[in-house]
Amino acid sequence: MKVRILELDDLHIKFILKGANPAFANALRRIMIAEVPSMAIDEVVFLENTSVLYDEIIAHRLALIPLRTDLESYNLPEECQCGGTGCSLCQVRLFLDIEAVDEPITVYSGHLKSEDPKVVPVKDNIPIVKLARGQKLVLEAYARLGRGKDHAKWSPVSACAYKYKPIIKINTELCNNCGLCAEICPKNVFEMVEGKIKVVNELSCSLCRACEKVCEKEAIRILGDDTTFIFNVETVGSLPPEKVVEEASKILEKKALKFIDALSSLTKEYKEGES
Amino acid sequence: MRLKVIKRGPNDLEIEIEGEGHTFCNVLRKELYEDKAVVYAGYTIDHPLVGIPRFYVRTDGSESPEEALLKAAQRIAEKAREFREQFKEAVRGYREKRE
Repeated sequence: MKVRILELDDLHIKFILKGANPAFANALRRIMIAEVPSMAIDEVVFLENTSVLYDEIIAHRLALIPLRTDLESYNLPEECQCGGTGCSLCQVRLFLDIEAVDEPITVYSGHLKSEDPKVVPVKDNIPIVKLARGQKLVLEAYARLGRGKDHAKWSPVSACAYKYKPIIKINTELCNNCGLCAEICPKNVFEMVEGKIKVVNELSCSLCRACEKVCEKEAIRILGDDTTFIFNVETVGSLPPEKVVEEASKILEKKALKFIDALSSLTKEYKEGES
Repeated sequence: MRLKVIKRGPNDLEIEIEGEGHTFCNVLRKELYEDKAVVYAGYTIDHPLVGIPRFYVRTDGSESPEEALLKAAQRIAEKAREFREQFKEAVRGYREKRE
């Protein structure tokens, strides 16, 4: 198994995974979307809400605000020593107290005050509600760790996908360098270099096979290599992208180890039953 | 994760894996294919709302289905670990080159 990073920044990573199988790649992808935990607001207590929006709508909007997540200092509620009732190890309180006194105002995610400076909204400019003069919003929100399979607000990624590494074969004996493939390709994989068709961006090919169809001489073959995957992961900002991938592999390993445990207790039961 | 035996013969085993879904079952199935002793491996999830996968393994008798499952799970854990190490190193290498 070999990994090569193609792009990496604060919100997004692109890498090639070589020497794996589709099941493994898909497990990683599914875990990143649905099982890597992240922080999101889960409960809101409204003390005062004279805005035009119902409490539920504001609560829903608050929940969808991505929060910076610190996986080392917080537990999932179901794994916490408090038993999930909520303590400082599995819960963060955020406060909002705002009133439009003279001018109408827009309430932004940046107005939320968190009791933990590490768990704050990723972006400060996410609008929540507009308040007209005299309207007031006072609330207390509880953020918890959760998993994307329970609610999408807990998913640390937005786009998370992989594709097979493209293999583009041009039969130079059949190719008449008509240039139709270069014209039709939406990803600009081909280029005319000195009157000859050349593959210049093999990795950006989306395997759509439009070039195969348009080629009159049938000189192009597009194949996908099902042992090499190009992953493209975009986070919402709650966790750094490389952390999401790392956590996913940890969760997969933990799953396998738990399965081994369950299996050995099963075989132990057999033996006890026999004796 | 809880396992419940549905059927058990000398060379075959049918279990329910509570608390898992396609994510784990599909890698497990693919991993069992790599084992020469495994004749058949597969799973179904009867209904997406019920969601308890039922896993079936049959071997040729040279090892028990439990052994095959155990080995497959160990290989998955090993692969996940290998991937993580490779990935961390790739990230480190990418960052160093950037600086």
